[in-house]
Amino acid sequence: MHRLQTLLLPRLKSCAALLALIGLTGVARAQEAAETVNRWGLGEPASDYGYRFTDLFWLITILVGVSFVLVLILIAIPVIRDRARPGHKASFDHGSSLHDKQVTTVISVITFLVLDAWVLVIAMQDLREAYWAYPDGDDEGVYEVQVLAQQWSWNFRAAGADGEFGTADDILSNSELVVPVGRPVSFQMTSKDVIHALFLPEMRMKKDVNPGDLNKAWFQANRSGDFTILCAELCGFAHYQMHGKLTVLEQDTFNEWEQEASKLALAAFDSEDTESQWAWDWEQ
Amino acid sequence: MRRPTLYVLLTACVAIAALSSFRGDEIVSEPSLAAEASLAPEEVEASSDEQAEVANDEPRHFRAPHNVNLFITEDDAVRAPGEDWFEQQAELFPGRYSYDESLADGEGGWVDKDGKYELRYDEEEEEAFYWRVLTKEELTIGRQDYVQFCASCHGFEGDGYGRSAQHLRPGPRNFQRAMFKFSKVTQALPSDEALKTLIRNGLDGTPMLAWDLSDQQLDGIIQYIKTLSEPETGWRDLFTEIGDVVEVGENPWVGKESEAVTAGEKVYHKNDCYACHPGYLAPPDLAALREAPEGTTFRDNLSYPAIKDSDYTVLDHQLKILPPDFTWHQLRAGTTPLDLFKTIAAGIKGAAMPQWKGAFPDEDIWAVAYYVHHLVTEYKDQPAKRSAFMNALRRDQ
Repeated sequence: MHRLQTLLLPRLKSCAALLALIGLTGVARAQEAAETVNRWGLGEPASDYGYRFTDLFWLITILVGVSFVLVLILIAIPVIRDRARPGHKASFDHGSSLHDKQVTTVISVITFLVLDAWVLVIAMQDLREAYWAYPDGDDEGVYEVQVLAQQWSWNFRAAGADGEFGTADDILSNSELVVPVGRPVSFQMTSKDVIHALFLPEMRMKKDVNPGDLNKAWFQANRSGDFTILCAELCGFAHYQMHGKLTVLEQDTFNEWEQEASKLALAAFDSEDTESQWAWDWEQ
Repeated sequence: MRRPTLYVLLTACVAIAALSSFRGDEIVSEPSLAAEASLAPEEVEASSDEQAEVANDEPRHFRAPHNVNLFITEDDAVRAPGEDWFEQQAELFPGRYSYDESLADGEGGWVDKDGKYELRYDEEEEEAFYWRVLTKEELTIGRQDYVQFCASCHGFEGDGYGRSAQHLRPGPRNFQRAMFKFSKVTQALPSDEALKTLIRNGLDGTPMLAWDLSDQQLDGIIQYIKTLSEPETGWRDLFTEIGDVVEVGENPWVGKESEAVTAGEKVYHKNDCYACHPGYLAPPDLAALREAPEGTTFRDNLSYPAIKDSDYTVLDHQLKILPPDFTWHQLRAGTTPLDLFKTIAAGIKGAAMPQWKGAFPDEDIWAVAYYVHHLVTEYKDQPAKRSAFMNALRRDQ
């Protein structure tokens, strides 16, 4: 330590200059990166319920951040106040007195009420009011999509113009999904082989997809554009390549698109090829 | 008993239990020693017989074998390219290949110093053929990579009935049939380079991903896949030709791309491309372009593709293929003019798309490539623009 001091202290100015230079370069590079691609924060959610996720994320981040700083300060006070110094011995305390126990209990209870209970209540509310509030099958305007995951891609099937699954005009696609804006999109999902998870980061939607099981999920997009489809469950070697494109279209464009996709599906339909027809009845 | 002794004994027990259960399992992850591999054949035969009995009433896709054999126990050989290829290689790698006039009953042939290629004289046919010699160690490594990366779709036996291949259209290739759609070679079988390019680039819009594997891994997998050909077919057929990657030549349209698009539109519609793919002209315009006599009618739904038979079967059903609408469907093997030129020139094996190289001058194929490229970039994934374009064609119908 002493040798380090003798080495650095005479060169204090140049050390500070060097550090400042490194810091500035870092800031400049971060700014450059932020200008080309927005890498900061989570981005604007593209679904109606997405704000719940974002809000909860920032609430937790801020609560944890504030608690972290608070705890550091509380540790720093006795470390500085009770340290050994000329004319003062370091003092020790095992915290075994009744008073200490009372203080500890009060702090724990407050922490639980403020941090855990608060977050828990909001999380339960979000699940009940949004994530698990699946649109009713009888509702008008629900766009239904069946998902068949596999190593390593997503197979989607929409009912097409006739609204029935398992018919010739079902819209089939691989790793690409087109949905309308402003209408609930409801998924029923299963897998051919191993566990996958359908993850739409901009929609703040993520749900496991299990073989031999039918999982549900839903979202409602609030703006049109191109978004990401990912797999969020390690599913084998090429898991990292299991991604796709989610396109959200305005209602008019979407209606036209759906008609055309149905016609092209009809053109491609081969009624004798029964093995390719994997739809199931939509479960209410 | 003293405590440390007890711990040592317990650990030993656990280790023995773990080891014995591991050895009982035939899925062994390490490429094992040759001695161990030579033990395998009897076990493998026994288990595959049992499997055949169990598997009969199970759907083919569900027959995920519980005892996957990862070892190849016999050396093998598959067809290699002909004289021309060796001449090229001799220039590329001086010193490795030499010409021996005494080989093949006096006809002469190339000798590979590394011993990977061999000229074998077939007495019945009185002809000599080059073979790629594959050692069992080499094949074992290929087999193990194949099982890790390919088997989930293409099946553990390479028959295209992997578990993830259920319901998949287009179906994954059955390597026993050695038929490849987008190999971009002009003759029957793709060369090693063509297969490597295909695996590296993947097939867009299908679960055939762009595989990020090393040269060595790819080579191992490709050589292993070749050995899956059924006897007398594919790479085991004496008379089969290994095709060269399609010759590209000079692009005559550099600097005049928009002219290429106009020319391509004409070539496309004059030469019946619209018999399978959509016609991108309204019927009156098409009739005018083709100088068709009055009253000529074209097929129904001219602006939609027409489904075609393919040579490929899945579960005894002959699959049909919808030729792509370039403004709508994802093209499989690239959308740059160069990629499109290669695909059109080489044709698509097993589908209704023939080889156009030789049937048309290269200039015309290039023009069509530019036209298709134009259709893709202008209209695909732009729903509003596309529907305006297509509706204009359909107005008179």
